[in-house]
Amino acid sequence: MTNQYVPLLFMTGIGAAFALLSVLLLPYVGPRRYNRAKADAYECGIEPTPQALGGGKVPIKYYLTAMLFIIFDIESVFLYPFAVAFSKLGLFALVEMVLFILTVFVAYAYVWRRGGLEWD
Amino acid sequence: MSRDDETPDNLPAAQGATPEPVVIDVRQGMFGASDGGDTSGFGGLVTNVLFPAAAARPYGGYFDEIADQLERALVGGSASYAQAIERVVVDRGEMTVFVAREHILGVARALRDDPALRFEMCLGVSGAHYPQETGRELHAVYHLLSITNGGRRVRLEVTCPDDDRHIPSIVEVYPANDWNERETWDFFGIVFDGHPALTRMFMPDDWQGHPQRKDYPLGGIPVEYKGATVPPPDERRKYS
Amino acid sequence: MGIEDKVPAGILLTTVEYVAGYSRMHSVWPATFGLACCAIEMMAAGSPDYDVSRFGMEYFQATPRTADLMVVAGRVSQKMAPVLRQVYDQMSEPKWVISMGVCASSGGMFNNYAILQGVDHIVPVDIYLPGCPPRPEMFLNACVALHEQIQATPLGVNRVTAARAAEAAALAEMPTHQMKGLLA
Repeated sequence: MTNQYVPLLFMTGIGAAFALLSVLLLPYVGPRRYNRAKADAYECGIEPTPQALGGGKVPIKYYLTAMLFIIFDIESVFLYPFAVAFSKLGLFALVEMVLFILTVFVAYAYVWRRGGLEWD
Repeated sequence: MSRDDETPDNLPAAQGATPEPVVIDVRQGMFGASDGGDTSGFGGLVTNVLFPAAAARPYGGYFDEIADQLERALVGGSASYAQAIERVVVDRGEMTVFVAREHILGVARALRDDPALRFEMCLGVSGAHYPQETGRELHAVYHLLSITNGGRRVRLEVTCPDDDRHIPSIVEVYPANDWNERETWDFFGIVFDGHPALTRMFMPDDWQGHPQRKDYPLGGIPVEYKGATVPPPDERRKYS
Repeated sequence: MGIEDKVPAGILLTTVEYVAGYSRMHSVWPATFGLACCAIEMMAAGSPDYDVSRFGMEYFQATPRTADLMVVAGRVSQKMAPVLRQVYDQMSEPKWVISMGVCASSGGMFNNYAILQGVDHIVPVDIYLPGCPPRPEMFLNACVALHEQIQATPLGVNRVTAARAAEAAALAEMPTHQMKGLLA
């Protein structure tokens, strides 16, 4: 008993195959004719305004914020088990943890003074 | 500085009389007269270029109202009517007010702000180059329209000499004049002092020269066609 | 890579040329480059009365990236010339140029400082279409002539041979300024 939707599957397959074949085959079939203006942004024929690398679409500051968050989040991840087991740990652990926080604080001070925390 | 209308035959005519037109240029022959040997007869043609003389009161229509109200509006300003306005020409139903270039800003402000005048619309500034009028070569012509006062129109004309091509910009009074002043700078070389950004408008930014001046060549190239060469229009054979 | 440049000469290349020319000529997509009065006639050629859509050419592209044909319709001023060249450079191969009207072909009636005396000063032109403005039927004639040219385009080795032959012919022919006595 043939399913009545099999032809639809065939059509989808043919369509997808055509699209994929066109896209994957074209760089090999077509000629390479490069000129500098082709790689420029289209700005109705005038020289395009200089943009940041990658076109300036996603501002770099989002990446920086995320990276700083990860670093200080990992620091707090280390603080949680220390806090939970503090009563069983002795002075050695306290001193060690203070040294750890101081080390990360140096990094924090560097980011702060270099302006990494400024949004604009 | 003597003005070109202060000779006996160009002073304003007596009240009520129609002033005679003024000859500002005499041209001879067609297509620019030069040497002899002309068999067409056009070489003997003498053309007087006539411009209307200063008008005498009453000007007719609403022009008298404009002149009177402008005189009233300029009282207490930086210049009086007699200092700012050089002459008024009324011709073919249009009024032209010749304004001294130092006072154009005050006059424009008075024309825009005074309720009886209220010329809220400036249709732009154009240039004109009269190389034969020494001391007054470059003219800047402003057209003003008053919609509130029933569609009245007046024309302001400001002159400046060729060796001192500066006219104050009226962009503060009529901001829409911005691009028109750029165009006049581009084509005539009139520098508008106080303009926010006076750059070329129609010609490419690095163009040398001001194309619409009378001494600027047409700039065509000779055209070859089947072995014959046709020179550009301004270098062709003269018929005089 | 580029298959069309690497196919060896012979029956295979001729077949590839035929197939490529056939498919390319039947869907030439123009880029909108109407500058002045000739643009009106170009638009009229797209109207149902003269119908450029029967050639598959009704799809005018606003962007040069996907356009095949640049119809320079109208006078090109000195200020517009670098813009035109940039738009031409941003079109992808294969591309053709029709200079529509006398102003685009040779400067037309405007022999002065402001107008480029022929767009072939800045881009290579395939079809010159005179007229001021050319009627839509003349524009369609130019399109048909372009289609015939596209069908006959050599590829690969044949293209190199044809280019060399054209260069030799151009070097050998008599220049325009030496063609005397033709006005009689």
